Amino acid sequence: MPPLMAIEFLCRVADVLSDYLGGLNEDVIKDNFVIVYELLDEMIDNGFPLTTEPNILREMIAQPNIVSKVLSVVTGNSSNVSETLPGATASCVPWRTSEPKYANNEVYVDLVEEMDATINRDGALVKCEIYGEVQVNSHLSGLPDLTLSFANPSILDDVRFHPCVRFRPWESHQILSFVPPDGQFKLMSYRVKKLKSTPIYVKPQLTSDAGTCRVNVMVGIRNDPGKTIDSITVQFKLPPCILSADLTSNHGTVNILTNKTCSWSIGRIPKDKAPSMSGTFVLETGLERLHVFPTFQVSFRIMGVALSGLQIDKLDLKNLPNRPYKGFRALTRAGEFEVRS
Amino acid sequence: MAPPAQSHRSSSPSQPSGKGEVSDLKSQLRQLAGSRAPGVDDSKRDLFKKVISYMTIGIDVSAVFGEMVMCSATSDIVLKKMCYLYVGNYAKVNPDLALLTINFLQRDCKDADPMIRGLALRSLCSLRVANLVEYLVGPLGSGLKDNSSYVRIVAVMGVLKLYHISASTCVDADFPQTLKHLMLNDSDTQVVANCLTALQEIWSAEASTSEEASREREALLSKPVVFYFLNRIREFSEWAQCLVLDLAAKYVPSDNNEIFDIMNLLEDRLQHANGAVVLATIKLFLQLTLSMADVHQQVYERIKAPLLTLVSSGSPEQSYAVLSHLHLLVMRAPYIFSSDYKHFYCQYNEPSYVKKLKLEMLTAVANESNTYEIVTELCEYAANVDIPIARESIRAVGKIALQQYDVNAIVDRLLQFLEMEKDYVTAEALVLVKDLLRKYPQWSQDCIAVVGNISSKNVQEPKAKAALIWMLGEYSQEMHDAPYILESLIENWDEEHSAEVRLHLLTAVMKCFFKRPPETQKALGAALAAGLADFHQDVHDRALFYYRVLQHNVSVAERVVNPPKQAVSVFADTQSSEIKDRIFDEFNSLSVVYQKPSYMFTDKEHRGPFEFSDELGNLSIGAESAVGTVVPAHRVEANDKDLLLSTSEKEEIKGPSNNGSAYSAPSYDGSAVSAASQALSELTILNPSVPGLTPQSSLAIDDLLGLGLPEIPSPAAAPSPPLLKLNSKAILDPGTFQQKWRQLPISLSQEYSVSPQGVAALTTSEALLRHMQGHSIHCIASGGQSPNFKFFFFAQKAEELSTFLVECIINTSSAKAQIKIKADDQSASQEFSALFQSALSKFGVP
Repeated sequence: MPPLMAIEFLCRVADVLSDYLGGLNEDVIKDNFVIVYELLDEMIDNGFPLTTEPNILREMIAQPNIVSKVLSVVTGNSSNVSETLPGATASCVPWRTSEPKYANNEVYVDLVEEMDATINRDGALVKCEIYGEVQVNSHLSGLPDLTLSFANPSILDDVRFHPCVRFRPWESHQILSFVPPDGQFKLMSYRVKKLKSTPIYVKPQLTSDAGTCRVNVMVGIRNDPGKTIDSITVQFKLPPCILSADLTSNHGTVNILTNKTCSWSIGRIPKDKAPSMSGTFVLETGLERLHVFPTFQVSFRIMGVALSGLQIDKLDLKNLPNRPYKGFRALTRAGEFEVRS
Repeated sequence: MAPPAQSHRSSSPSQPSGKGEVSDLKSQLRQLAGSRAPGVDDSKRDLFKKVISYMTIGIDVSAVFGEMVMCSATSDIVLKKMCYLYVGNYAKVNPDLALLTINFLQRDCKDADPMIRGLALRSLCSLRVANLVEYLVGPLGSGLKDNSSYVRIVAVMGVLKLYHISASTCVDADFPQTLKHLMLNDSDTQVVANCLTALQEIWSAEASTSEEASREREALLSKPVVFYFLNRIREFSEWAQCLVLDLAAKYVPSDNNEIFDIMNLLEDRLQHANGAVVLATIKLFLQLTLSMADVHQQVYERIKAPLLTLVSSGSPEQSYAVLSHLHLLVMRAPYIFSSDYKHFYCQYNEPSYVKKLKLEMLTAVANESNTYEIVTELCEYAANVDIPIARESIRAVGKIALQQYDVNAIVDRLLQFLEMEKDYVTAEALVLVKDLLRKYPQWSQDCIAVVGNISSKNVQEPKAKAALIWMLGEYSQEMHDAPYILESLIENWDEEHSAEVRLHLLTAVMKCFFKRPPETQKALGAALAAGLADFHQDVHDRALFYYRVLQHNVSVAERVVNPPKQAVSVFADTQSSEIKDRIFDEFNSLSVVYQKPSYMFTDKEHRGPFEFSDELGNLSIGAESAVGTVVPAHRVEANDKDLLLSTSEKEEIKGPSNNGSAYSAPSYDGSAVSAASQALSELTILNPSVPGLTPQSSLAIDDLLGLGLPEIPSPAAAPSPPLLKLNSKAILDPGTFQQKWRQLPISLSQEYSVSPQGVAALTTSEALLRHMQGHSIHCIASGGQSPNFKFFFFAQKAEELSTFLVECIINTSSAKAQIKIKADDQSASQEFSALFQSALSKFGVP
């Protein structure tokens, strides 16, 4: 048994269940045994995965939401399942439900990027990489055929596609050509490595002397991405040899949680000053200096910018009755962004 | 109305309180059973839900079986589903009641709605009651011909279920042939995929008894079938794609063009969003190109990026599974990944099992160009909060140091670790410094200076303590207070719990004694006395041995205990490469995640047929035997490049041509010995009555140590025979073979031609093994497949412990045998080569 097949399948089951039940925990499952059984019945038979496409499942088994409850009361139709079998099981685009119809045709393309970076105590960038996804939310009637092209596809290091993407056009022209599933899906994921700089800097300084350790952490903008950086927080775990910590900041709030995690939420960086946090650690008795240095984990979010520099050139839609609305967005957030001290 | 089920569950989920509920439900269901009133379905639904949730949490509700069946007459699909579920769950324990359900299930199998037909058929097949199988055949037969693909999908799986309940019924109804027809002709890919699964399972199980089935199983792997699947692979669901890829991995293409066709066809699968598909494709690619070394390389290059992406996306479980596979590949071909070392840097938040794998990979990919960065990064982890990882990373630094030629910077780092004043860091670093000194004695000055500053009181871990003691013994000349540190350690003999440490202490004090006799004399006496009184057998024996050897002759004792050492060039690998190859053959399975071949973690009855027995699997002669079971010779070459023992290193060893045996070092400095004898003879003055050197010193030692033990006679030296006669019962354990193979230079390398009879007889490696054994040449490992075979032989001189080692590669298509001979006694290798050749030439001659 290939291990990934099992793990991928379990992840998919978890996704589908939480999609159906609006969350996934013991209580939710207990309250919805029947739905869970129904879903599992369609997803796996005799140990072999069958249908895991949410669109098809949704046609076979209705979601237990309020709308369908209301509907069933109003119409008097007690069955919460459509009478007919989903056509898509036999169609050549199994990810697409048969012939959805929308009054307003719209499609949204989001670039969502996560920046993973490791920065050494001397401020040197050890590693910086971006993991990105192209998320599409499509509400289009019929069987539309979409083509998405990038202005600079050459920066992409490695890509993975949703099954709907045709391979040849990408191979020859780096164009994504596809018939989209209905609703929200992940069209493609990619990796961009060897980035040269990060949008913000975090400079921790720790100096210890005679059983106490002075801490000073400065945060500022290193490389202005052109949009506001918000939701900045700096988190770190206090080393176990620290008895107590006293930390204050000139901007934002500092919290020391019970599990010895210290969290400094900054939000946005103000124009007039550089945020800094400082204070002292009292070390265990007998320890002169701090030997174990904490790693600072930074998170932030930048709306409107894909830091990898990836840009969408254009999106063409074919096979549609009327002109749809096209929306593009970009977002970058910190993934594993860590600064060593 | 009863309160909602959940409150009951939380308050009293136990059996007794459930019982009241069950009888309650029973009566309610009974009331509803016959009712045709509007809205009755809704109340049924509530009741059914309750029954199902009781069932799920483990309350036995089989008592309401009859009532459930009665209520099953409904058109509501959800009710039906719940009813099917209930029936499926309890039919097995109530076969009599199950009979009741057959009727309505069979009726539903003819329903107008394909979904109900499918569901009913699935439930019918899931009853798993042996005496009901006769009722299955009919509905299954019509299910396989159903218009709706949904029903066919279910029916195909149903056939497999039927097969497991009653194989004969399934075969008699000729279902396998029907499935085969469906598989090759159905328009729905899920039907086709299910047919493939079912047929694979049925025919594999049947193959042992029926010849036809095994033929059919072979036919599944024939070119037309495999390509039929591969050409349609894009139409299959992602899970079915995994099945097809798995099938294709078992297919053996007839020529290289076919291999390239398959790879071209499947290249885009590497970009699939589903990791399982990607990994299955990678496995296929690797298997296909095993025989083409250069393409195999390209495959590594090609799969690198997808694998690295898979690692960084998805849940931790997914990335760990992928990482394990990556780990395997990195270990096989570190040079390919050496530029991607940054991917193996650890993130702070990663679980330690991930970090551990990454550290191993970092160690493996280190080469001249990236060592500095990797070691710098590893040093960061040494200050990690996670202590096991900190230790692991220090060990990694050490391993890199042992692999590299330029260890300058690394040694400095290690020495810095020693100064970090953290117990576990010091402990790990000490062990490493010891290994380092064994390989690079030239660094002793720098290291000893730092090690000398470490107080032995700060070192508590046995391994580290042993390492420190070893260094004290080995470098007692350079470390001023070595005898005194040893002495204080011996004073605390009783508090030392680890036998390993005590053993090292004995040896170290002996070594120290030979170098600085006057200062150590007292400590040696104390140590031997304590050792002789030790309750641990090994410690006791070693002390006794040392004592007697000293008694026999001090200079012999020194040669035994402290011979001049050759620097260790390669430390033995822990896992044999044969096992690694086997794991590689099982790529994309749990074997890789567990880092064990499947036979190690599966029961005997679940194992497939293996060429090697378990014992052979354990027989490890390390890197050199990397011949795998199905590896043609050109890959052997590639493998050899992966080995720790690279060619340049081999040359390095060639330099000093002494035979590496510790006991016959040709030259050594006798001055220390004379000083030791001096010390002893000074003592003999106390006992002047006994003349002669041997008894004199023995008594001297008795006096010195304050012990009285009987003397043992010294063994007579064996005369060496003039002619080369081989010992027919020679034995050599794989470890020694491995060690000798690495240490000794090649004394002879030749190519023979093999007689046509020999080629004909060499169908399996075993044939040659038996033949050579008849000539007193023994095989320690063999591998390969026609036309390439690789063997490792050894032989020993009849009356002397002098060994010949042979690596023999035979290519049957060119009828050539390449041999490399290594020998303890270089002068005899020509003679041995002639002998080997004559033995080989007789192979196949009746």
